[in-house]
Amino acid sequence: MRDPKNLLRSSYSFNRRRLLTGFGATALGGSLSGVVRAETLHHSVADAPVANAASPEDSVPHLGLHQAGVVNARPANGMVASFDVLARDADELEALFRTLTARIAFLTVGGPVPMLDPKLPPADSGLLGPVVRPDNLTITLSLGASLFDDRPWLAPLKPKHLTRMTRFPNDALDADICHGDLSIQICANTQDTTIHALRDIIKASSRQMILKWKQEGNVPVITPGPDGRAESARNFLGFRDGSANPDSSDAAEMDRVVWVGPDEGEPAWATGGSYQVVRIIRNFVERWDRTPFGEQERIMGRAKMTGAPLDRREGSEFDVPDYASDPEGKATPMDAHIRLANARDEASRANIILRRPFNYSNGVTRSGQLDQGLLFICYQANLEQGFITVQRKLNGEPLEEYIKPVGGGFFYTLPGIRDASDYVGSSLIAAARGA
Amino acid sequence: MRISGLVGASALALVLSSGAFAQEASLDLVEPIAEYKIYVSEKVAKLVEDTTAFTAAVKAGEVDKAKALFAPTRLSYEAIEPIAELFSDLDVSIDSRADDYEKAEADPEFPGFHRIEYGLWEKNSAEGLAPVADKLLADVKELEGRIASLTFPPEKVVGGAAVLMEEVAATKISGEEDRYSHTDLWDFRGNFDGARKIVDLVRPLIAEKEADFLKTVDANFATVDTTLAKYKDGEGYVTYDKLTEDDRKVLAAAVNTLAEDLSTLRGKLGLD
Amino acid sequence: MSSPDPQRDGTPSSRLMTIALLGAGILVLAGGGAFYLASQKVARPVEAGAIAVRVGDKSCEPMDLTVPAGRSVFEIENASNRPIEWEILDGVMVVEERENIAPGFRSQLATRLKPGSYDITCGLLSNPRGKLTVIASAHSEAEKAKPPLKAFIGPLSEYKVYLVLQSGQMIQATKTLQNAIEAGDVAATKAAYGAARVAYRHVESVSGRIADIENAMDPVAAYLAGREQDPAFTGFHRIEFGLWRESSVAGLKPIADKLIADAATLRDRLKVLKFEPADLSGNSAREARRLAEGPVISGDSLYASDDLAEFAAAVDGLEKPVSLLLPLVAEASPETVKTVTDAFAATRAEIGKLGGTGTPVAYTDVPPDARKTLSASFMALADAIDRINPALGQE
Repeated sequence: MRDPKNLLRSSYSFNRRRLLTGFGATALGGSLSGVVRAETLHHSVADAPVANAASPEDSVPHLGLHQAGVVNARPANGMVASFDVLARDADELEALFRTLTARIAFLTVGGPVPMLDPKLPPADSGLLGPVVRPDNLTITLSLGASLFDDRPWLAPLKPKHLTRMTRFPNDALDADICHGDLSIQICANTQDTTIHALRDIIKASSRQMILKWKQEGNVPVITPGPDGRAESARNFLGFRDGSANPDSSDAAEMDRVVWVGPDEGEPAWATGGSYQVVRIIRNFVERWDRTPFGEQERIMGRAKMTGAPLDRREGSEFDVPDYASDPEGKATPMDAHIRLANARDEASRANIILRRPFNYSNGVTRSGQLDQGLLFICYQANLEQGFITVQRKLNGEPLEEYIKPVGGGFFYTLPGIRDASDYVGSSLIAAARGA
Repeated sequence: MRISGLVGASALALVLSSGAFAQEASLDLVEPIAEYKIYVSEKVAKLVEDTTAFTAAVKAGEVDKAKALFAPTRLSYEAIEPIAELFSDLDVSIDSRADDYEKAEADPEFPGFHRIEYGLWEKNSAEGLAPVADKLLADVKELEGRIASLTFPPEKVVGGAAVLMEEVAATKISGEEDRYSHTDLWDFRGNFDGARKIVDLVRPLIAEKEADFLKTVDANFATVDTTLAKYKDGEGYVTYDKLTEDDRKVLAAAVNTLAEDLSTLRGKLGLD
Repeated sequence: MSSPDPQRDGTPSSRLMTIALLGAGILVLAGGGAFYLASQKVARPVEAGAIAVRVGDKSCEPMDLTVPAGRSVFEIENASNRPIEWEILDGVMVVEERENIAPGFRSQLATRLKPGSYDITCGLLSNPRGKLTVIASAHSEAEKAKPPLKAFIGPLSEYKVYLVLQSGQMIQATKTLQNAIEAGDVAATKAAYGAARVAYRHVESVSGRIADIENAMDPVAAYLAGREQDPAFTGFHRIEFGLWRESSVAGLKPIADKLIADAATLRDRLKVLKFEPADLSGNSAREARRLAEGPVISGDSLYASDDLAEFAAAVDGLEKPVSLLLPLVAEASPETVKTVTDAFAATRAEIGKLGGTGTPVAYTDVPPDARKTLSASFMALADAIDRINPALGQE
């Protein structure tokens, strides 16, 4: 587990160094044009949760070709927990997967918690009372490179692009909050639900895996405007984050951007999965708040108040910047975050990723500053063309002076649980046995 | 329609353009910026000179001598950090900390001053440090060359005063910077001197309009001076662990306030 | 307010007319810019032309000139029997000058002047100076392409650093020179002299415009009433005269002492000198033109004859401020960058050609035709540099 006080170090100054970041290119949801709120809002990952719209009865189906928790809209709370797995062979790994599948099936659907003999510890934490309600919960399992690398019988099945997360120039990675054999992303309307799920899973799998680190975050809940349209949520730098995310309600687009298909040179078992990148990116918020307004906007490439691109300040975050008409960066600087991250040209279409970030606020650093930032999560069908390429473009950006990636990892999100008889990771186990 | 958003934005725009802030940048800045480059050039020349002696001691295995030279050598670097950091590759190789590397001190990539500091104090040895010393000296010389050919961006110079305070506030007040040698107070001295130099250079440009601001800033610098003076030891300072918790709080508050106040300096000079 | 199109509305003011008549020449006032005279009810004369200034043995005619701000062309006639230089001075700063106007000859000088009072020199340095008054106008061209003022702070600062560092080197070199003089070592003194002159040439496009310093450090005997025997013959050329003409350091000690003091004064002045953005390339163009018209034709180092080395150093000094502007120019006009870069290369090549390789070629051995070719190269360089300010909206 991480000690929040340990996290912060940043050492030299990051001043002016270019780097990466994961803020996602602040995206703009270019996709939602028209938009009827009730329908669209809950379809796109970019959308902020809508005020007063969440219900404990909200539920996301946990069965399907793909796991839940990737393309459905973010609820207000999110968490990533990373574990080291003990399984020595395919049987033990299958047992873990089956355990986790059972917990997913119960927690995301809900129902009464079994009452046990009061002399024994209870079946769960009791956090949610005697009846668990789904509360929009999703639990998404992904595997780290180390799970494969440390097991010769599994190693040949490792997804093509999956590696241990490497250090980018501005990173100050803390080994205590990096990597892991298995990541679990837990999202729900309320924090109680995510914590309940985590404690339930730890309790159920204590023989099979060990918690390594976790990071929680949330998305600000937004009240839609009179037209029913909700703006993207703001990150802790005060900018809209998510404006340019691809439309996660467009299945064909998701097949292209997010989901690994059968013809991408990946092992057959991996079809229907995705690459997950997690980055814990500290924001130097005190310093940011002391940075001139105009400089903040030039660094991000958007108007801070509206989220509009700088070449159409009178517009909204949903307007698309016209970089072709601004080849010298007079309106939007060439090294602005959103411009580096997404050049909006044909070539950069290959690098689009689906971002699913949460803000985090942990504690206080040893220097007495706030430990706040972004729990950046993204999904893509090709890790190399996706996050890694985007991050390389961002290396050295002016924003680096204000942010410091300190943790996270690269993972492979398993294909979905097809039906009630299936379990998560079954295709991998079958392949391991066949190999 | 996004009426509400627009209304909010234009209201803000009105506030921003109402002239409440800041003159336009004026050519009066030319002289301070030029003076600052000369100041930085002198400091980096001193850094090269001191680093030459420091790395020679390291390479000769003279651990005690190298330890004695460590903090005074860094002083010049700390004073010019806002400019030195413009060259991020050199800043990393000269002044990064173990935290920047996943394997921390054990990471083979961990370079520069702090790598040598780690060897000298934690291992009490200069063993294996010769290549690190050679690289450090080469980097410092490279820095001198790059500074000579750099046209100083005015906003970086003026903004540098705040940057120095941000450095102290975010990563130094905790004593993490020189964690093996605990010579942090020397670094503080360099950072404060560097910040004050910038303030003094632009002082004539704002003396009349910003008298109250300067008074507050000067008072905070004075607090820092008074506090640091208590820990003076010969040419330098006692180790950071001698700093009392009360004085650390006094310093932290002064640094945070300076960072806050000096962050407006650019705007006051039309360099936002 | 006067007419928005003064060119079409041209009643010459009586005052200007008077001046023009007094000036025995063609009236005036350059044509170029559409401007109006802001505060005076004075309309701009229709015809473009030059303001005539006649320089006699003791004074100028007229001794008192008034022109509107903006571009003006002066035609200077040397009616004296000595070669003259003619300068417009703002306090001690030389705003513009023409050198080496031979007796009976005329020379034109075009410049842009800001409102204010200026002095004009009239022949020998000991002659009284005339007055030039520039009244307000507004010229509106080229405001649009202008980079913000802020963009010039960096280049102006960097150039100031260069001037201060170079003048520091000059002080060092003159100290070496002084030591060699004290040691009575003519050869070492000559070497130190050369080094000091390189640093001097690096700053000359600015220092040459600080009249009192210039007159103390770098007066040329030809412009002094008593020539080499004139007590005002001090500074570098006095030392050069002693070393090369008299092969002796005799009497040079006090000259060197004074030179060091003047060099220190120069450095202090350079530190506080205020430049405008247009000065960066403006000074270089002006200096290139001055070199082309004077020193390159007639030679400056009349005794040492090492002009080629000095011209090479001068080119470096011209290039420094220009190079600081090129990144800004590149955005506005990439062709201008190429033109300027090529012109510097061409001038250097021309100097290199005359200098050959191996032992330095004495400038006395460079024939008039070759000097004319080199002069043309400096003139072309000046023209190229002159394209920078318009490209940056500075004129």
